[in-house]
Amino acid sequence: MKAIMKREEKRVDPSPSLRIVVVTCGDVPAGDAALAAQACRSAALRVGLLESGYDIVASLPPDIFLPERIAQLQPDLIIVDSESDARDVLEHIVIATREARRPIVLFTEDDSAATMEAAVAAGVSAYIVAGLRAERVRPVLDVALARFKREQKLLGELADTRQKLAERKTIDRAKGVLMARHSLTEDEAYGRLRSLAMNKNMRLAEIAQRILDVEDLLG
Amino acid sequence: MIDKDVHVAGSDRPEKAVLRIGFMPLADCAPLVMASVLGFDEKYGIKLVLEKQHSWSAMRDRLTNGELDAAHALYGLLYGLQMGIGGAARDMAVLMNLNQNGQSIVLARAIAAAGVTDGAGLRALMQAQPRRYTFGHTFPTGNHAMWLCYWLAAAGIDPVTQAQLVTVPPAQMAPNLEAGHMDGFCAGEPWSRRALIEASGMLVAPSSQVWPDHPGKALGARADFVARHPNSCRALVAALLETARWLDASPTNREAAAEVLASPAWVGADLALLRTCLLPRRADFPGLRFFGGGEATFPWLSDGMWFLTQQRRWGLLREDPAYLDVACAVNQIGLYREAAALAGVDVPATFTRSSRLMDGRVWDGSDPVAYAASFAIHGRDAARTEQVR
Repeated sequence: MKAIMKREEKRVDPSPSLRIVVVTCGDVPAGDAALAAQACRSAALRVGLLESGYDIVASLPPDIFLPERIAQLQPDLIIVDSESDARDVLEHIVIATREARRPIVLFTEDDSAATMEAAVAAGVSAYIVAGLRAERVRPVLDVALARFKREQKLLGELADTRQKLAERKTIDRAKGVLMARHSLTEDEAYGRLRSLAMNKNMRLAEIAQRILDVEDLLG
Repeated sequence: MIDKDVHVAGSDRPEKAVLRIGFMPLADCAPLVMASVLGFDEKYGIKLVLEKQHSWSAMRDRLTNGELDAAHALYGLLYGLQMGIGGAARDMAVLMNLNQNGQSIVLARAIAAAGVTDGAGLRALMQAQPRRYTFGHTFPTGNHAMWLCYWLAAAGIDPVTQAQLVTVPPAQMAPNLEAGHMDGFCAGEPWSRRALIEASGMLVAPSSQVWPDHPGKALGARADFVARHPNSCRALVAALLETARWLDASPTNREAAAEVLASPAWVGADLALLRTCLLPRRADFPGLRFFGGGEATFPWLSDGMWFLTQQRRWGLLREDPAYLDVACAVNQIGLYREAAALAGVDVPATFTRSSRLMDGRVWDGSDPVAYAASFAIHGRDAARTEQVR
């Protein structure tokens, strides 16, 4: 499956003359998970574009100088994470340069609302200069979309795995509490947990957490 | 013949019980958050699922593609979207106004240190020490851009030719002011207040000085969503009216709201900061107003038209729209009246109101074309539209 996706990407005809700017998410403060995820997506996107033969003229941080740098670089295409707070800054550029060479949001000027929605859902927003033919831009966006989607899937899986691991630990600790309090074997403790969960119509991890909470309270 | 008054069992039942609502982490998202926290939504048979947004642009995209059912949106943004400024036009709906006042115009410490305390002082300084002066707002068609331009122009400063306006995410306002990247900004609380507390800026004008009891964030939705879900929307407005009444009922309630909003799940700001935003302060600086006996919540046609007149004034609209027709289509007064009846809230007798703005001009919605054309400082000609520098 992965091999097929790879081949499809390779088939894309690179347009090295396209000037692409990627807006990064700047410095990520420690502990900001949302921004860290954005940074991952942005990095993956850049790798994807480079692998597919596209030229990224600049990766710009989302600071107050962004409009000026974009004006200097005159890119054909600006790709930005849809969660980035630089979105409103780009919106300003869209409106301020209406009269001249203007970046527009690609899919608002054609009928492909579904593609626009897919892009937003995947976490990619693109601003594209008017007059640039859609067929030249679409392959770039396809790369971006595929990368963003894959990255999102990986992040989702990672979060899922982390949660499962945490739940497993909780269940193990709750088992330990039951074993110590009621002198049960591990299997018996697990059986007790399961029947408690079934009776209360709760998930195993939830009932385990309750047991730990009570244990905490009662010491 | 169909008798409209026949009540079909269950006919007022919400078509959609769970509503996804976008909000920005600002003090004026209080009505949405408290409606959910206090359970006013459930009283009307709906459940609000609140989704925090990181930019107005992303919120707009989610609203238009159906990921969000309604949103805490800049009034001006909704009208800009209706008119297709900078993108495709979409038929939008303003269900109610969510707040009045509570935004601020802040100048950099260096400007304040030069003795500037108001717009006239800023103009004198800009003439005495010519250079590029930069001011930040939050969205090109939005409320803060309009307050900032109005305030500058009222002081005789042309925001199109004599200043550079930039869009800056609210949380970055104070750091950029501190770093000397800009000379002032207009933004909502608590971000404007943060600059004051961190001492990078000085408050020169609360937005209520530009226009006392001006419209603020609106509850926005797509027009087709409202048409297909009238019962859900009516329930939503009724729940928010009750919440607005609760918020204005006592300082204790405001205090409780500040405590809730401080959580990272909502605004995620310092409690002391949110307290100063939500609790009444000096009498000459009227703060956030949510209810005002049903005057602050009403979707006045004159409020909606005002944003169109200013968007025309600054060249965002190249021609005069059919002001009244647009406002009548966007502002859902019929639905609001039904919701107000449900919540026991008074509805004003007229659909326009008369306001005196800071330059002494009166706006009552009666002649929008003349009003939009009457400003000496303007950017009506497309050729003068600001370029990215």
